[in-house]
This record gives sequence, C-alpha cells and structure tokens, in this order.
Amino acid sequence: MNKHRRARVMRTIVLMIVASALLLIWILPLIWAFVVSLKSEREVLAFPPSVIFEPTWSNYAEALFGDFSILDSLVTSAIVATSTTLLTILLAVPAAYAFARLRLPAKRSLGFYTLATQMVPPVGLVIPYFLILNRLSWLDTYQGMITVYLTFSLPFAIWLLVSYMEDIPWEMEEAAFLDRANRLQTLWHIIIPQVRGGIAVTVIFVFLNAWNEFLFAVQLGGNNVRPVTVAMYNFVSVEQTLWAKLSAAALIAMLPVVIIGIAGQKQIVKGLTVGAVKGGGRR
Amino acid sequence: MTAQGRVSLRGMRKTYGNFVALDGIDLDIEPMEFFALLGPSGSGKTTTLRMIAGLDTPDEGAVVVDGVDVTFAPPGVRDVAMVFQNYALYPHMTVGENIAFPLKMAKVRGALLDDMVRKAAAKVHIDHLLHRRPGQLSGGQQQRCALARAIVREPKLFLLDEPLSNLDAQLRLETRVELKKLQRNLNVTAIYVTHDQEEAMTLSDRMAVFLEGRIKQVGTPEEIFNRPNSVEVAAFIGSPPMNLVPAHIDGRTLKIVGSSIDLDWDPDCSPGPVTVGIRPSHLRVDPKGIPAQLYLSENLGESRLLNLKLGDVLVKMRIPESVRITDSETVPVAFDAGSIHLFDSESGLRVSGARSGSV
Repeated sequence: MNKHRRARVMRTIVLMIVASALLLIWILPLIWAFVVSLKSEREVLAFPPSVIFEPTWSNYAEALFGDFSILDSLVTSAIVATSTTLLTILLAVPAAYAFARLRLPAKRSLGFYTLATQMVPPVGLVIPYFLILNRLSWLDTYQGMITVYLTFSLPFAIWLLVSYMEDIPWEMEEAAFLDRANRLQTLWHIIIPQVRGGIAVTVIFVFLNAWNEFLFAVQLGGNNVRPVTVAMYNFVSVEQTLWAKLSAAALIAMLPVVIIGIAGQKQIVKGLTVGAVKGGGRR
Repeated sequence: MTAQGRVSLRGMRKTYGNFVALDGIDLDIEPMEFFALLGPSGSGKTTTLRMIAGLDTPDEGAVVVDGVDVTFAPPGVRDVAMVFQNYALYPHMTVGENIAFPLKMAKVRGALLDDMVRKAAAKVHIDHLLHRRPGQLSGGQQQRCALARAIVREPKLFLLDEPLSNLDAQLRLETRVELKKLQRNLNVTAIYVTHDQEEAMTLSDRMAVFLEGRIKQVGTPEEIFNRPNSVEVAAFIGSPPMNLVPAHIDGRTLKIVGSSIDLDWDPDCSPGPVTVGIRPSHLRVDPKGIPAQLYLSENLGESRLLNLKLGDVLVKMRIPESVRITDSETVPVAFDAGSIHLFDSESGLRVSGARSGSV
C-alpha cells in the first residue's frame, strides 16, 4: 500500500519536472520579451544584459500611440480575423452538414478536392493569389484579404465540422423529420446545438490563424489593410531595430490570442482529439 | 370520428445493390390495431416500418394510409410518430423540451403547449422529470421520454422499432404491459417491429412474420402459433421452435423414423413424403415410444429441455423438471397424433394437422 503511494508521488514529481521543463521552453521567450519591453532602448542593447533596471511602460504607450502606432493595425487585424471567422462558420456549417448527411453527386471527389487544397504549401500560392487579386483590383482591400483567408479556413473548418456531425446518430435527425421539422429547422434545432463544441473549436482555430497570419498579409496587404503582424515590422529598419517597442507591440498583439487560448482551452483539446475515441468528440 | 390509421402496403420492393431487402410486401393493417412485424434481423421488418414512416422509399409499390398514397410524401406530413430503438432523444434538450419539440414544430405555443407536455409525460409517469436532460435518466426513463414525445401530438400512426430491446429483462416485461395499455387508451394504430416473438405474441392483435424480405404469414398470434402455414414459419415461431422431422404418409398411416403411427384424423393428402412438425412441449417420454438418443439436457428451471437424436434429426423435447433422465440414455419418445402438423416436403407449405384439421 505504502509502496504504491510512494510510487505515485514519485511519478507525479517526475511528471511535474518534465512538464515544467517543456513549459519553460515555450514561456522563456515570452518572459524575455516582457522584460525587454520594460527596458529603455539603450538598456536593451547593454551587454551583459542588465538584470536590475528601472522598468518603464513607455514602450507600450509608444507602440500604441507613438509614431509607428499599431492601434490602427490592431483594428484591421480584428476586422479581418472576425470577418474571416464569421464567414467561415456561416459557410462551413451548411457545407459540413451536406458532406455529412446529404446524398450528393460526386460527394467523394468533392470531399477530396476540398481537402486537397490543404495539401498545397501556402508559399506556392502567394504569387498566384497576388496576380488574381491584382486582376480584380482587390490588392490591399479587406475583401481581398478575407477571401484569401477563406480559401484556407473553409476546407479546414468543413472537415473539422464534418467529423463532429458524423458523430450524431441518424435517428436523431429522422426523429426530428417525423416531428415535422424541415431540414433547416433540423439543422438549427438539432444538429447545431449538438456540434456547439466543434463550432467553438473551429472559431478558435480560424480566428487564431487569421490573426497570426503574416505571409499573405505582407504580400497582399498595403497601407489600407495592414494587419498587426505586418505593422510590427515598422520597428525593424535598416539602421536599427527598436527591440523594446517591438517587444511591447508583440505582447500587445499576442493578448487576444492568449485570452482566446485560455477561454477556449477545453474546447481546443477536444478539437485536437476529435475522432480519437468513437463519440469522444461530442458535447 | 371515423376510424383513422388504416395502412395498406402494395407490392413494395426495395433493393440495396444486390441485396433484396423487400421482395413484394403486401399488407393491410386495420385502424387501432396493435400490429407486430416479427422476423429475424435482415428480414425487412425495419425497412418496412421506415417506409411507412417516410424515412425510406420503396423502389416499387405503394404505401397507402387512410386511402391516400403517401409513398413519396415526406415524414413530416404523414402524421406518424416513431419510437426508435435507441430512443433518439435530443441530448441538448430537457425531457420537457424533448416532448415539446413536435408541438413547437406544429406551432403549438404557450399554456396549451405546457399542458399537453405535462399530460403526455403523466401518461408515462415521467412528469416529475421534465427538467432533467436525457443523459441524467435511466434507460427505462429515457424510453418513457421517447414514448411521451411520440404520443404528445396524438398521431394517426404509432410506430415502434424494437423499443424494448435496450431495457433489462425485468423492465422489459413491465414496460410491455404498459405499452399495451397505453395503446388501448390512446386508440391509435400501433405498428411494432421486433425480433422477439414473445413480445409479438403478447402485445399484438395481429402480426406478420417476415423472412428474407417477404411476409410469410399474417394472422393473430394464436393462428400463427397454432397453424404455421409453412415449414419456414414453423421453424421460426416458438421458443424453441417446432421440431421438423421427415416422414412418409399413406392414407392415415404415418411412417416416421422407422415407426408406424395411425392418425385418428384424415390428413387429406396424397401418399408420399411429408415433413412432420411437433412442438417440443407436445413430445413426451413413453416406454412404448420411438427410441431416441439423448444428446444434451438443458435445465430451464421449471422444465427441462432435452436435445435428442431421433433418427438423423436433432429434436428438442420439453419435459417437466420432475421427470428424471440420466445422461447418455435412450429416451423413448411419443406424441399425440392430434398434435402434429404436416407440411409438403417439397414446397414446405402446410398440408394439415394439429387440432384444426385440414387447411
């Protein structure tokens, strides 16, 4: 009895040490960035790095309201990410339902091509997308940026939601049909409430991807539509890099990600393990 | 009020690829009848029920309800309610919301809705559980919830797809009685799919025996049990089913496993080979009987089931527990000539027999 308890305690301790070590790898750059963001630009460059210094919040004020303010870009990012997310859900839910439930001609090949778009390395698409948007005069516009993001988020969202919807027993829907619900009512009253978890996961992943996206934002955006990931680069120039302000800007830009991550961590874990255990992804 | 809920199935066929699920189903179900569709799995009974519900359509044939052809009508307009084998309760809604759902879809609102939900729940004794979710209910309570959802809008047809099969044995017996009472009180046509012949026998007014996508016999439980119209039905009905032994008949003389028996009734068939059907309970141990080898003895509590080798055929015999039989023994088997059934050995169809005389 005692031996078992001791073994369990030991196991917990080892587990905590390993987990802490892994956590440290992820969190150290953040701590470093946070410390840097509280220093003056001169102290940042001191070698060896100063441990004792007078912390200042001025870098945050500078990043938000200074010459290279990222405030407008934060708004831009929010508009792009939110619109992408809303449109994705609006289109992916019915599409996933169709894939999961309806008898469609060429359903299999449609499903394959939807998934195939995810197999192309994004960098190979930058130039084609640039040319297409240029032809449409959609470069540096919200509709251009959001449309391009949708091409990535929709296939992903559809396939994630299909796996949730396939978990719902057919009889549930048939019962609803017998209860005189039509297909839309069934989708709204029976299916969507049961895939709420899946929708939450999709919202989180799509929003984070759109918020964090850099490659396409830097190529297809411009002065009108400049997401925060691009705007941060104003602190990096040929002559110098303003490390303290860059760190402050990066931490500010990270805030929504962290908030969503904490709020949705339960759903994120579920989303990652969906399909691992039969029926385990639901609710 | 004219009687509602008359169902007629006309020549229904359904194939899935090469598999013939339904091979010409013709059936008439009377209003307010409790009708069982009985058969082993894969025999087409559930497919038939789904076509009555509108969840599936036949390749050929028609479904007619109260004189209206509804073959291709969507389920919602048919005014039918169904209880599924797995109940199909909506897990995100409370019991009350589940029961209210069909009413909401029919645009019933307010106090009337609450009243109807409460009454339906009370009929199946779950009115104290209205605020629970299906996940917080026991299997029996879930089943009642599914029943309440089905009866709440007083449908024309009440369809049940093996509703008792997920309950434990004790609860199944109790619910069976209640189900029958419920149907009587509701005055509604009930169509009940089951593979459990005891359920079909006890619940139904009439039943249809399904085998391999066809209806083999329609009748009251008594008719089907006492006068199976073919070897196939005879081999399916009864627990254990009838013993089928090849024999030869000539006039009133039956030659069976080397013995000759004089029938005290006229079998009314031409001389030749026949198949004799005898229920296990109609066999008895008799010193003057046909000797049979004891193969296995099963204790069923009140009775004992003997597996015997009669000639080349394995037969089952049910005897009272008090009759002592030791293993590896020869058991002399006898039966009343009046209790046997005769089937044509080629077509398998009933020729005559058992109390009722010839067909």
